[in-house]
Amino acid sequence: MASAVLRAVARWYPVPLVLAVWEVLSRTGAVSKRLMPSLVEIAAAVGAAMDNGDLLFHAGISLGRAAAGYALAIVAGVLLGVAMARSRLFDALFEPLFSFGYPVPKIALYPVFIFAFGLGSLSKVMLIFLECLYPITVNAFYGMRGVDRVHVWAAENMGATPRQVFWRVLLPGAAPSIFAGLRVALPISLIVVIITEMIGESRGLGYYISYASASFEYATAFAGVAAVAVIGFTLDRLLVWLRNRVIFWERGAAFIGAA
Amino acid sequence: MSAAAQRRAAPLSRARRTALGLVLPLAALIAWELSARIGEVPSYLVAPSAIFATTWEMLASGELWQHTRVSLLRALGGYAIGGACGIAMGLLAGIARPVERFYDPVVSLTYPVPKIVVLPILIAWLGAGDASKIAVITAAVFYPTFINSLYGAKGVNRLYVWSARNMGAGPLRVFAKVILPAALPQVLAGLRIGLALAFIVMVACEMQNSRSGLGHLIITAEDSLRFDLMYAAIVAIAIIGFAGDRLLLWLRRRALAGQAIGKEGAHG
Amino acid sequence: MALLEVRELDKVFRRGARAVQAIDRFSLSVEEGEFVAIVGPSGCGKSTFLHILGGFEPHDGGTMLLNGAPVRGPGPDRGMLFQEFALYPWRSVIGNVAWGLEVQGKPKAERIAAAERYLKLVGLSAFRDAYPAELSGGMKQRVALARVLAFEPRILLMDEPFGALDAQTRELMQEELNAIWQETRNTVLFVTHDIDEAIYLADRVVVFTARPGRIKDEIRIGLERPRRADVRKSAEYMAYRNRVWDSLRAEVLKAREEFK
Repeated sequence: MASAVLRAVARWYPVPLVLAVWEVLSRTGAVSKRLMPSLVEIAAAVGAAMDNGDLLFHAGISLGRAAAGYALAIVAGVLLGVAMARSRLFDALFEPLFSFGYPVPKIALYPVFIFAFGLGSLSKVMLIFLECLYPITVNAFYGMRGVDRVHVWAAENMGATPRQVFWRVLLPGAAPSIFAGLRVALPISLIVVIITEMIGESRGLGYYISYASASFEYATAFAGVAAVAVIGFTLDRLLVWLRNRVIFWERGAAFIGAA
Repeated sequence: MSAAAQRRAAPLSRARRTALGLVLPLAALIAWELSARIGEVPSYLVAPSAIFATTWEMLASGELWQHTRVSLLRALGGYAIGGACGIAMGLLAGIARPVERFYDPVVSLTYPVPKIVVLPILIAWLGAGDASKIAVITAAVFYPTFINSLYGAKGVNRLYVWSARNMGAGPLRVFAKVILPAALPQVLAGLRIGLALAFIVMVACEMQNSRSGLGHLIITAEDSLRFDLMYAAIVAIAIIGFAGDRLLLWLRRRALAGQAIGKEGAHG
Repeated sequence: MALLEVRELDKVFRRGARAVQAIDRFSLSVEEGEFVAIVGPSGCGKSTFLHILGGFEPHDGGTMLLNGAPVRGPGPDRGMLFQEFALYPWRSVIGNVAWGLEVQGKPKAERIAAAERYLKLVGLSAFRDAYPAELSGGMKQRVALARVLAFEPRILLMDEPFGALDAQTRELMQEELNAIWQETRNTVLFVTHDIDEAIYLADRVVVFTARPGRIKDEIRIGLERPRRADVRKSAEYMAYRNRVWDSLRAEVLKAREEFK
């Protein structure tokens, strides 16, 4: 019992340490207290924003957009990656689009998206979709291609049909790589939703944060930042949890997104 | 794949692959150009030929380069600082347990958080100039380089270290001659992800609040309905993003000549 | 007619303009219930031959008849045991063993019963619900063996099945395979680079030449069955060993020349 507490302290002590440094900087006025509000003030701002429902409202909007774009990207990306891995024609048609387009910041297309899909949610969802599509497709492709050939051979040896080989061997074999792509895409979906909401919008956490800072309400802005942090962290943990349930046979393996 | 299936799907020749790869982009460009000329599309879809002409003009007048230079300065400034910190601290954390244990909780808590959220606040702290943008880019680049360097240094085969020790190498030499080269593939993988993020965040910052740079150019051109200008800026962003990545890949090939090139890396 | 008839098999690897003859007019027949081992220097094409026979790789000429019918593509009449075990990490031990029968559409009760029977044969009943990651190399290969036996192929193709195991485990596995064979009397084609393994297990040892692979020598092993472990110490065994090694030695040296 005591040793468990000790272990938790040994593992997590840097977090309160960082917070303490923040608090000292704020209280002593080393950094202007207005720009760097104390944790108490930020907590009060979070409380107030929760009470009047602002925080939940804007968080819900941002979360909905990110989730919609992300989900679309999963469906399209996995299908496309699988098709490219299975068909030489698809591979030849799409491979250049992905290898040339990957390092290009698609976010630059946002103004075009606004004209095409309007100022509302659709333009943001489409941009999130486009940015997330790349890592998900590429990882699904490499996952399918990387399946151990003796696994395929052993199945064919038993007389498995191509369909059985696909569902029972290739897909589970590619699953770790597919999940790695999902983990790369997750923070990207949040980056894109926040930045697009900062640029031109009256709803969502990105708007909330930039509006609060523009009106010098820094504690409120930090409350928004805290909300984004909580969302990002929680979603990532959820994905890790899900991945470990689905890919139970590799639970101990490192799960870092490969781009 | 079975023998029968392999015979059916003979590999495509390189020329045919390239030709097939051009099908989709060319078809899109031609359809775009034709429909823009016929006038059946909304005004924001400027004909590719017009975009090309404007890009050429702005290149010649030096205007495009001016914005590109400002953008590159910010992106590469943040990239250099964030990358240097990420690699140094990541390698250190990879070889020293206490350092890793110090960073681990803070990094794992903040890693999935988009660093761009603090931009408006940083603007209040540092002003709307280059400093706030460079700071956000630094933060964004730090994470993937840190995590990849950490894993790279941690993953070094213990036998390499032992054999160097066995030959009498001191800690400094072990670090410089064994750990650094062994971790290099993953460090470079982190740098590659960091570069892509640096450009994304650069564009995002400049679109959000800036008086110069390619992102700013996109927004002002859009406001004044100069769509040809907007596309010229988009083309410039695409080119530097792509060229930067290829440059890094080329550097990696040179640096890792002889080593089996490790694939990919962790994303931040 | 023999169970397996391979006639004039050819295999050429092409990489760009370069072509390497991997197998050159190779012929072999295997009788029902016979245990044939193929030995040869590394890179001689013996594994390639097994991959072709398994239907995984195409060949360039010749015929292969199993039970009188030509071999086309992979199929459950030829059970393949891989050096890499090829167990599915997401399936439990029993799930791996029963899968071949599942693929063939056998009802669940039947396939579980059969899988349990074969798990018992390889001595792993206690591990029926374990996952491959929890098993040692020797245990993994025993699961793979049970999996192949369970779908009852006409012939077993073993591609250096014990090559990835340590020396002690390997020797125990040889004894175990010997005992299992004594019980099942399967027809086996066994590829290895280990002379002792070949002599101890097989009725007939076929020596492959260095690339291009073709038959150099065939030695019938007359050691009495059932063979116990201490047969390896007998003078008769040593005589076979010297005979195979003399034949193989020149090929190994030739293969080494090629790398220089």
